[in-house]
Amino acid sequence: MKELTICHLYPDLLNLYGDRGNILSLTKRAEWRGINVNIKNVTMGEDFIPEEYDIIFLGGGQDYEQQIIQNDLIEQKGTEIKNAINNNKVFLCICGGYQLLGNYYKTWDGKEIEFLGALDLWTVGHQDRKIGNIVFQCDFLKNETSDGFVVGFENHSGRTYLGDSVTPLGKVIYGNGNNGEDGYEGAVYKNVICSYSHGSLLPKNPTLSDYIISKALSQKYDDFQSLEPLEDRFELEAQRSVINRFVKA
Amino acid sequence: MKIRLFIATVAAKLAVWGLRLIKSGGTTLPGKIALKIYPNIGVELAKNFNIIMVTGTNGKTTTTKIISKIFEKNDIKYVTNKSGANLVGGIITTLIEAVSVTGKSPSSTALLEIDEAAFNKITHYIKPHMLVVTNFFRDQLDRYGELYTTLNGVKEGLKRCPDTKLVLNADDSLCASIGNEAENSAFYFGFESTSYAGKPETTSSDAMFCIYCKEKYTYQSHVYGHLGTFECPGCGYKKPATNLSCVSVDKLSTSSSEITYSVMEETGIQSYSANINLPGVYNIYNGLAAASCATLLKLPADNTLRALSSFESGFGRMETIEAEGKTIKLILVKNPTGFNQVLNFLATEEKNMSIAFVINDNLADGTDISWLWDVDFEMLTELKDRVNVFYTSGVRGEDMSVRLKYAGIPTDKVNLCHDYNELLSQGLASIEDGCNLYILPTYTSMLDIRGILANKYGLKEFWK
Repeated sequence: MKELTICHLYPDLLNLYGDRGNILSLTKRAEWRGINVNIKNVTMGEDFIPEEYDIIFLGGGQDYEQQIIQNDLIEQKGTEIKNAINNNKVFLCICGGYQLLGNYYKTWDGKEIEFLGALDLWTVGHQDRKIGNIVFQCDFLKNETSDGFVVGFENHSGRTYLGDSVTPLGKVIYGNGNNGEDGYEGAVYKNVICSYSHGSLLPKNPTLSDYIISKALSQKYDDFQSLEPLEDRFELEAQRSVINRFVKA
Repeated sequence: MKIRLFIATVAAKLAVWGLRLIKSGGTTLPGKIALKIYPNIGVELAKNFNIIMVTGTNGKTTTTKIISKIFEKNDIKYVTNKSGANLVGGIITTLIEAVSVTGKSPSSTALLEIDEAAFNKITHYIKPHMLVVTNFFRDQLDRYGELYTTLNGVKEGLKRCPDTKLVLNADDSLCASIGNEAENSAFYFGFESTSYAGKPETTSSDAMFCIYCKEKYTYQSHVYGHLGTFECPGCGYKKPATNLSCVSVDKLSTSSSEITYSVMEETGIQSYSANINLPGVYNIYNGLAAASCATLLKLPADNTLRALSSFESGFGRMETIEAEGKTIKLILVKNPTGFNQVLNFLATEEKNMSIAFVINDNLADGTDISWLWDVDFEMLTELKDRVNVFYTSGVRGEDMSVRLKYAGIPTDKVNLCHDYNELLSQGLASIEDGCNLYILPTYTSMLDIRGILANKYGLKEFWK
């Protein structure tokens, strides 16, 4: 029987905007296919042991909580996280977690805060927030049955810019995305997927959820080929209802 | 009398009359019109009243309802914003309605529910004599921003009100920090650590870490959420001594709770047995908050006890409508902690039932519905045999269906139905005689469903 271990980083602190939904989506969709799932919660002061995990999830928090974890993430777990990323470990990082992997965060009044520097990207704070529904399209999710659309909700004051080694996750169809300027949303580097989108992101976007599960299984098992399809009526209806509301035909 | 005040008052009164005539509520707009004509109208109006304000994330409406009942039992004439119009425009409308065109009011007390994010703004016009703060939880981040922003706004507003007496929840580290920082006199209510053993919330607590030094709080006991007997091992900030506390929870049922509470009075500590006329542990807090207000006003305890056992629920807070030999119960849901408390309450229902979740994402509901993933719907799997059908509806009905699926509810028990008339008839048909159809709407879907219930079953219109 195949098995996956999901590491939820700082679940007690970075748990804004229903991040739990992403863990639930990965867990249930693996379990429905007979894959056993373990969840390891790793928080402040605890060791991060990447060999023990197949998928690592880092969510967002309020500024208050993000300040609390910042030092622990960079000083205590930073080296292991960077190594894991370079060794092709699968990561999903949302909102604040996405920003934290970058080089730095420049506050709206010009103060530069050094972040982890695991991905070549950076964020500039603004006083106004980008809040609202978002629809974007991911080329790697396009196939005979899917147009690659992903839906979610964004709420961020930071504008994120990508360096050369990092590619966007998708092209914005509706909403703002990374910075509201270049028309892209999120970031991909090796097996790290980053997005501003919560909602939660994965439950309504089952193809993206399955993509992450497949990546993790193919990293772990040489004989893994593909996931068997599931009945996704509820998920796709929810996704479709957002697309129909915000995207003109 | 100032001429602009007179014109503003008359204009607003005409607007109230006109809007009610076309059945569109008119609980907020008239106040806005008056403020436009005469920005100082709030200050002028406030001179007529002793003002008590109730704010906080959850329990504002119910606490206000209980205090209203206490006033009635004491024959105190008062005005209040009955329909939950709790932003600045709504408050001004309420006061304008209460005064005559010459600015005089037959009541001298105003009991006002105020949105926690609007408190700061209203203090520019109106400084309450007493402020009751129920609690602070994470709520609609798209609208309020971060929890600490809302809390700081209340603290900011209080700086303009040095004479306001505070009634604060001692079990809430966020709420109690108001009293810790302000110069105002504070009266605290809470649960004794031995009175109730709730589950600690380990993953999505809203305030796990000290507001002052960011150490993790330790708890002697939990009630729910982050409420309980807390202490910070880092800086020593802890639950303040309570003036009024629940010393034991004697019985919890689907219709009410029996508790014993004690109050520090001039003659020493007095204990009272109270029956709180709404179910759920969260309503005990609302009862304690209202009893604290009565104690500060030096109202006799026997009238408070009578009010606690007889108050009626507020707008959409467990409102009950008899229909076709069955009962519809309407319970507003708006944030994870409140929703969890409602689900806890549903777990005490022994009869078969159907539950309808009606989720909208308009501004007043919160445009971001990702908080549904922070609600513990997983607990529904334990009572699913008693639930005939789970209905999902509202603009975000589809999202709710997905949430239930991932909570482990069989998909054949989940029924999406966007049409509210259809939802009501299907819902009633799905349960046996004498059973309950629970409708759990967000704010704007509640307004729509109440509209239909008013037409079909004669439910009171919301501004009455």
